[in-house]
Amino acid sequence: MLTAATFKRGLQRGWSTTWELTKVVVPVYLGVTFLKYTPVLVWITGACAPVMRLFGLSGEAALPLVLGNMINLYAAIGAITSLHLSSREITILAVMLLISHNLLVESAVAGRTGVNALAMTCFRLGLSFLCGVFLNLVL
Amino acid sequence: MPWGVLWEVPWKAFFSDAFYGSLHNVLMMAAIIFPVMMVLEIGRDLRVLDRITVFVAPALRLLGLSRQATFPLLVGIIFGIAYGAGVIIEAARSGEISWRDLFLVNLFLSTCHAVIEDTALFIAVGADPWIILGGRFLLAVILTCLVSRMAWLNARLPITSAK
Repeated sequence: MLTAATFKRGLQRGWSTTWELTKVVVPVYLGVTFLKYTPVLVWITGACAPVMRLFGLSGEAALPLVLGNMINLYAAIGAITSLHLSSREITILAVMLLISHNLLVESAVAGRTGVNALAMTCFRLGLSFLCGVFLNLVL
Repeated sequence: MPWGVLWEVPWKAFFSDAFYGSLHNVLMMAAIIFPVMMVLEIGRDLRVLDRITVFVAPALRLLGLSRQATFPLLVGIIFGIAYGAGVIIEAARSGEISWRDLFLVNLFLSTCHAVIEDTALFIAVGADPWIILGGRFLLAVILTCLVSRMAWLNARLPITSAK
């Protein structure tokens, strides 16, 4: 049944999620923007370019990919918005990240339901890479 | 890093970029998250999931899942792994869901979960909605269908079903 409490909870969850997100997005955005103003981003881009090319992504896309898998999607989004990626790149990145992200936390959660956490992590990463390669071929 | 490069950073441009960029980012996310959370809470209180469960249970047979797995699966797809796992752990503890269902639900959710919030965020930054939503869902369906028909999974069924 809908009551005032429903809307109150909606607002609360909206607020707490936005706050959680701000705590992650802002530092990541600042960090990546800072890297953009130094030669570091160029080095990272160069080093990652050969692997990223498999997915049709530029080298700098390695940043959101790593951040998303290690931390969470909010961190990845912070990085995506501070880089200049094409919409094709963003779509490929989005699919890869939506399949595998926040691996440290989510695998631990999945592990508690009785499924092998390490196997789940490898499975998600593998599937994410396969999808990246696939989308690069078909898009 | 040779620290000399720090002198060459155009600090003023950096600070204005950093400030306006973060502000824009946070406001854009808030504009997505508030409505999404409101819809999710309204859906929860209207017990939309209970109604959908009745509808989709037959379709889930295709995935090789039993009726008991429907609710945890739907919660995970819509609300995400954290909520889904809560319901799954509860179902596993009370013994109403088999190991086989548990495995398949986890398989499905590992590829496709929290489809409303996460998808909305990526659409906001410019990803193609059809590909990121449809593609992921289809992938999860195909994978679960295939794995549920594998012999080793079914062979394991009688021995390790959850108590």
